[in-house]
Amino acid sequence: MITIEALKQFGADTGDGLSRCMGNEAFYFKLIGKVVDDDNFAVLERAISEKDLDTAFEAAHSLKGVLGNLALTPIYTPLYEITELLREKRDIDYSPYLNTISEKRKELSGLLA
Amino acid sequence: MKSYTDAIENGKRQLLVADDEFVNREMLGNILESEYDILKAEDGEMAYEMIRQNRNTLSLILLDLIMPKLTGIELLNRLNNDPELKGIPVIVLTSDQDSEVESLKKGAYDFIPKPYPQPDVIKARISRSIELAEDRQIISSTERDELTGLFTIEYFYRYCNQYDKFYPLQDMDALCFDINHFHVLNERFGMAKGDEILKCIAGRLEKAFGDTGSFVCRKTADTFLVYCPHHDDYSHIIDEVSAVIEELEAAVKVRVGVYSFCDKKLDINARFDRAKIAADKIRNNYSVFISHFDEALIDAELYAEQLVDEFPKALAENQFRVFFQPKYDVRGDEPVLSSAEALVRWFHPSLGMISPGVFIPLFEEDGLIAQLDEFVWRRTSETIADWKKRLGVSVPISVNLSRAEMYDPGLIAKMEKITDDNGITPKDLYLEITESAYVSDSDQIIERVKTLREHGFFIEMDDFGSGYSSLNMISELPVDALKLDMKFIRSAFDKHNDTRMISIVIDIADYLGVPVIAEGVETEEQYLALKRLGCEIIQGYYFSKPVPADEFEQFLMQKRS
Repeated sequence: MITIEALKQFGADTGDGLSRCMGNEAFYFKLIGKVVDDDNFAVLERAISEKDLDTAFEAAHSLKGVLGNLALTPIYTPLYEITELLREKRDIDYSPYLNTISEKRKELSGLLA
Repeated sequence: MKSYTDAIENGKRQLLVADDEFVNREMLGNILESEYDILKAEDGEMAYEMIRQNRNTLSLILLDLIMPKLTGIELLNRLNNDPELKGIPVIVLTSDQDSEVESLKKGAYDFIPKPYPQPDVIKARISRSIELAEDRQIISSTERDELTGLFTIEYFYRYCNQYDKFYPLQDMDALCFDINHFHVLNERFGMAKGDEILKCIAGRLEKAFGDTGSFVCRKTADTFLVYCPHHDDYSHIIDEVSAVIEELEAAVKVRVGVYSFCDKKLDINARFDRAKIAADKIRNNYSVFISHFDEALIDAELYAEQLVDEFPKALAENQFRVFFQPKYDVRGDEPVLSSAEALVRWFHPSLGMISPGVFIPLFEEDGLIAQLDEFVWRRTSETIADWKKRLGVSVPISVNLSRAEMYDPGLIAKMEKITDDNGITPKDLYLEITESAYVSDSDQIIERVKTLREHGFFIEMDDFGSGYSSLNMISELPVDALKLDMKFIRSAFDKHNDTRMISIVIDIADYLGVPVIAEGVETEEQYLALKRLGCEIIQGYYFSKPVPADEFEQFLMQKRS
């Protein structure tokens, strides 16, 4: 069962996230539950592997907004960086970013279980 | 047009949150649902459809820029190009600073960054944008005339002034368009058709004056004002605008008053007053449709206003003087002074002698005539008393009573007080009442005249023949003399030399058993002819012009000897 304490341990800025949820913890947890299953994670990975940087950018951009709003800093930070790189269509190896994002997402899923 | 009050009918304003991310939609919804009714759309097309459906109730749109099917920027473009949707304020949700500027340029009211700021900040930005949009809508709904879509007069004047400020050297014309007898159109074709005509005229005017620097407004029902750079000729515009009405085969025309090369030192409304004065000058002219303002028009109006304004002062300072014009009994071999008419003159300290023909109609219109008449009655009574006392002789003097005074319930008491105060009798003061006064409300006036006669006053019906008395009424007329309308004398002795009308009036007087008085008699020829026809009393320059009291004394002295 997810707790505010566990989220803090994870690195989330729970004060910030909770305030956007009007202090409603259950609502905050519900939204976090939604974001770990967001299709855009899969879209991002597939688009990068297919070198479709436009689609990858849109997916990263969307995720960045959501994660930022929920103040899930450990996933937000690599997403922010990858979004800026994709915006510039940089032809680089994105896997370190994708790996971090994937790890942190798994960690978060674990908290939810 | 959407009214801003529609949006708050159920107590909460309605918002649309358009974002493809569930978390973002839910988060905003949760923040705002206590204060607003929230609609949610998860792609651009869905958002557009919901906006269209709720266009009359939607207070604000929160719009994510990157969405499937239709992006936020594309949606903004669609809203901008749809007059029905354009007024709904949009706040853009974005995490890119570049997009913020672009969306503001595209008409967004504000932006909310992602990650979202504190809920209080979001709420404040939303309520501020709604407030701004609603204020703007109130302004735009008062800026335009509902029927025609033209500017309302307040905004029209404001824009004219603004234009003058930016283009002080541009020669400008003020125009006032009026429809001749528009009420007749409304009567003939109905109000709905009348409105359609007004809309049509508004459209033609907007087209004709579509160039920059021209402004068109509807001032009142059928009055349109235009402020535009100077044109030498407006006849083609009159033709175009009138064509609307001619399609209806109605004998109605548009007329325009033009005040060219406006004096910009004048207030904007004073400039249009001048255009209106020019337009009114041709109101009943069916062959002229353009009238140019010239200074003489305003001079006449200003002059009239000055006279009315200065009346109380003139009365207090004795600028009015009473003159007397003798009336002669011509039945015998030698004319004999029988009475006189008191006539008022105004000796203005700077304007000189002002003709009663100028100020009497003005004072009749303004109701000042009652005060002036009372002054004349009093001054005349004093003069009669003075003559009696000093010279031991007098004649009855007639004074004029205006139509309005005939309705004054205190009239008889007032007349009696004046005669009593001066120690004279009603027999000394004849009353001239114009024929038209009898006609307007004959029963009441006839009653009043009867009472005056019972109190001993002698009644002369003035201007007889000009007031369309019915033959039926004439037989009951309570009068002591008929005074021929001056026009009869003039036309009887002009080139036609036809005195038949005078004979008829004399016959009527005979039938009533009263004498006929002819005024305005100027020549010996007129005098002899009137005497031959049986006219008993004659007044006019042939005997004497109206003279001051002291000069009149010589006529009294002659009579005494």
